[in-house]
Amino acid sequence: MSAQKDCEFMVQRARELVSEDPCAAKSWLITARTLYPADFNIQYEMYTIERNGERTASAGRLLYDMFINFPDQTVVWREISVITAALRSDCQDKHALFLRGLFETLPGRVQCEMLLKATEQCFNTLEKAELLLLLLKRFPDSVVQHGVNLGETLLEAEVSESLETPVNCFRKLFADGQMQGPPEVGSLKAQSASRGPQRYVIDGLSEKSSVVAEPWDRLLDILALVGARCEWQGDKGQRSYVDMLQRVKELCRYLPSLEGETRSRCCSQVVLCSVLVLFRSAFLYASSVQPTLFQGLNTLSSGPWILLEDLSLVYSDVEAERGPVKHAHKKRKLADGREKTMALESFRTARESWDLLHAHESLETEFNKICASWKTDNWLWFRIFLTDMIIYQGQYRKALSSLVQMAAVQQPQPGQQSPSGQASLESSRALIQQASCHYALGEHRMACEKLLDVVSGLVAPTLDPVTPLEDQGKAKNKSRKGSDLRLLPCTSKAILPFCLQLMLACFKLRVFTDNRDDLSLGHVVVLLQHDWPQGESLFLKALEKICHQASFQYENFFNYVTNIDMLEEFAYLRTTEGGRIQLELLPNQGMLIKNPCPSLGGVELNTLLLQGVQTIDRHHTVTRGITKGVKEDFRLAMERQVSRCSENLLGVLHRFCLNEKVMIIQSLP
Amino acid sequence: MGDIRQSLLPRDVLSAAKELLYHLDIYICNLVQSGRQTPQVDTKTLELVEEFILHSPKDRNVQPRRMSALQELQLLEIMCSCFQEQSRDAVRQLMFSALFSLQGNRADESRMALLSKLVSMAVAVGRVPILECAATWLQRTHRVYCVRLARVLVDDYCSLMPGSVSTLQNIHSSSPRFCCQFITAVTTLYDLTTEDLTPPLELLQMIVSWLQDDPRLVLVTLLNTALSGSPPISSLDLTPLGGLVRWCVKAPLAYGRSEKRPPVANGTAESQAAEAGPLFSTLHLSVLQVLMMLPNVLNEKGLFGRLALLQPETLATLTSDLSRLLDLADEHGPPGDAHTLSQLALDRLAQALQVALANGALLCSREDLRAICSRLPHNNLLQLVMSGPVVYYNNIHTPPMAFSPHSAHSPISSHPTHQPLPPHPAPHPQYPAQPFLSPMPFPYRPNH
Repeated sequence: MSAQKDCEFMVQRARELVSEDPCAAKSWLITARTLYPADFNIQYEMYTIERNGERTASAGRLLYDMFINFPDQTVVWREISVITAALRSDCQDKHALFLRGLFETLPGRVQCEMLLKATEQCFNTLEKAELLLLLLKRFPDSVVQHGVNLGETLLEAEVSESLETPVNCFRKLFADGQMQGPPEVGSLKAQSASRGPQRYVIDGLSEKSSVVAEPWDRLLDILALVGARCEWQGDKGQRSYVDMLQRVKELCRYLPSLEGETRSRCCSQVVLCSVLVLFRSAFLYASSVQPTLFQGLNTLSSGPWILLEDLSLVYSDVEAERGPVKHAHKKRKLADGREKTMALESFRTARESWDLLHAHESLETEFNKICASWKTDNWLWFRIFLTDMIIYQGQYRKALSSLVQMAAVQQPQPGQQSPSGQASLESSRALIQQASCHYALGEHRMACEKLLDVVSGLVAPTLDPVTPLEDQGKAKNKSRKGSDLRLLPCTSKAILPFCLQLMLACFKLRVFTDNRDDLSLGHVVVLLQHDWPQGESLFLKALEKICHQASFQYENFFNYVTNIDMLEEFAYLRTTEGGRIQLELLPNQGMLIKNPCPSLGGVELNTLLLQGVQTIDRHHTVTRGITKGVKEDFRLAMERQVSRCSENLLGVLHRFCLNEKVMIIQSLP
Repeated sequence: MGDIRQSLLPRDVLSAAKELLYHLDIYICNLVQSGRQTPQVDTKTLELVEEFILHSPKDRNVQPRRMSALQELQLLEIMCSCFQEQSRDAVRQLMFSALFSLQGNRADESRMALLSKLVSMAVAVGRVPILECAATWLQRTHRVYCVRLARVLVDDYCSLMPGSVSTLQNIHSSSPRFCCQFITAVTTLYDLTTEDLTPPLELLQMIVSWLQDDPRLVLVTLLNTALSGSPPISSLDLTPLGGLVRWCVKAPLAYGRSEKRPPVANGTAESQAAEAGPLFSTLHLSVLQVLMMLPNVLNEKGLFGRLALLQPETLATLTSDLSRLLDLADEHGPPGDAHTLSQLALDRLAQALQVALANGALLCSREDLRAICSRLPHNNLLQLVMSGPVVYYNNIHTPPMAFSPHSAHSPISSHPTHQPLPPHPAPHPQYPAQPFLSPMPFPYRPNH
């Protein structure tokens, strides 16, 4: 018999016995092992029996024996890598638990040795680093020996794999490693240390795959570590982010008086701290404004918000507003309901840090470098903040280009729309903000175009009484005096009123001039119905103008004006007492002919259009002029309108925006 | 001490015994305190013990005093607390040996009787000091008496009172030394030659579970004994390994044989065999595992290669027993079964030999092995073990294999009475069927 055959014979016997009498099988293998201690298969068979029996201690012992005696066997390495993989994973299944248990039975020295060897054997940098990290985590003493190695490996790998973003798996590990390393290890240089925090920023933000618990708190820890190592000014204690900003603000004052090394150190401290405050605050702001970006993180808000011009003054007299078109931006205030204070507070802090970062040229340069290397341009959430900030600063042109880009990015993909229509709401966010900017720039036609785009994407208002929300809005309006930016919930209910107000604002300025523009005046009347009687004074002003003109032609009047006060006023205008104003408010013939047979159902749009007048046109050929028939028609139409007073006003106005889109836009220069 | 006899005589049996124990305690304390190298209890005192505690008559004419069962129980209780309360090891040991060391006289019978009752009681109520003293006693006393003590315990706890095994079970944690000696004693007693000498299932189960818990239990005596002086003649083996190997090897055939005995009472033998099978398999594995631990243990004591825990003589006896059993099985058994069981026995033998040889428990050459096993039928593994591994290369991991008697150290035998094997043993005629222990015809086997 040859040695090989002997071994095979004995292993074979063990295999035959193992299911029926495992003890006998083991006895065979023990015997075989004493005969042929250098035979791998015997020991592997022993290990297999113990492993399959999930006996951690004996399996661990045998694995270690193989690890020592058969370092060249690939099977051993396969086993070890399965175990280290289990150690790295969070998997809780039975097998993973067993493998981890097996590893735990090994004495510490052996664990260390095994991890180290496994690391050496590993050629995948990432895995290798993970292994090394595992090693460092379990055996902090080995940091001195291997910690530097890990850092270097990771940084090298990052370079060699030329990854897109600086926020990548290598950095992640790097940061992990730093957190775990004892602070006295001086080998990790401050420069490289500063890369650690980046990962936490991003982890908290985007990488859902590797969620770090309390990333911002851990980031503060890291910062304290980095600060201590870089000999930063100020205490080493952990403060809040707001405290930190205050501290670097103070520090910043001394910056011009500093020179050389001290100056650059101070500079980097200010920049790093401010950047982190900026990112954190901007992140918090963005996550409350557009929570879908970071699902799971938002606890406060239920839906997206839009930061917009406050239009509560839209109903006020034209003269008061005509004066200073440009706002005194520095005095702008943000005020809003309490539920939004957090978001606004974050916005304010972020803006402060932004300002600080642009307080000195050297800081700005440093900041721009960081932005470039971190590729912040690609961070949608950060752009949301930046855009809002530019709007806040009144840089509307700049804001517009940014908004256009964002709108392109956020365009909802077909089929991706969430059931609640949230995605489309968010895409209309950018449009509304664009409209707001156009308005601020005096580009009213563009503003209206965007607004009408938004409205056409909205769901038609339901017949529910909208009063609760309206009331709330009104209540706020009163307390919001003097403020001119507000956070608006990004919902159909909230958006439509805003669009109407902004459109009103666009037309209002045009209408109350010396030029005659009945079409625009008509639109204003229609729009003034919203939030009635807020716009009462403006309506009276409009009437004044009509009286002055002695005639008024607006063929959509009966389609969209249902306000009883207004109808009354217009009816009065025709009377002798009212000044016998010549009113042409009935739809013209051309429009009627378009849809001669509305009762058949036809296109909804036309049916809607004719809703108020269909009974009349059956019997009368409507002609212009003061004929008896027409008078009769007007009276009938008025009577009919009175019956429509209870109609959902927002529904009517929504229809107005949809159906008259072209006409509305064309009526603006 | 002698002078207290007069004061003891008028007393009743129990109070005389109590009084004597009291004086004995004082006497031994003084003895130990005197600082003599080897304090010895004088003959006068030993005689008093025999007269007033063991109640062995001083001369034939005197009618021995007898204690009632109740008085005896009371005495045992007193002794128990006496040992329990004595804090000094030396005093306790000396006291125990004054009471129970065999003197080779007529009093030894009552001595054994009282000792057995005391130890049994100590097991029941968990008196560790007594068990420790008994462990020492089991090391120093002739094996004949050791197995008698073991038998009492087995009878008390495994046979008489069903369910009381668990009490005995606990001794492995309360006194590992006693437990180890107990295992050695029962493996010596139950040699599987007859049904009566087949270990009860409860005992087997208990030992298996002990070893599964901690196989090192088997080595406790070895670990706790300084092997400077030679052990007393015909004492128990230093470890139960030999006895355990014998159990495992013979079991498949011994249990098989009991099956065919004409008056099988009620099929219990058959079911016992079925239950015992896996137990012996487990036990065999434990034995191999203990053997695997030996190199470390022996090296620590500087005895590796010098102390043969398994004697070739014992193994020779085993192989000749086995050979007879195999013949029997061939004659009577159903051919298929018999073959399987025979091969199982031979496999186990081969495994034990190989593992013992590889780990320094057996100090002989493969040549010697071939001689020992020459009369056995063919078995693949045994063949492999006898010829040894095929060596292609100088294996760095080669464990201490065959330990040649030519080696520089002469092996220390735990049985100095047996001569080491001659260098090149001649074939089997050298190993008689009833060797070595034959001068003493197993008097401790029950006479019925």
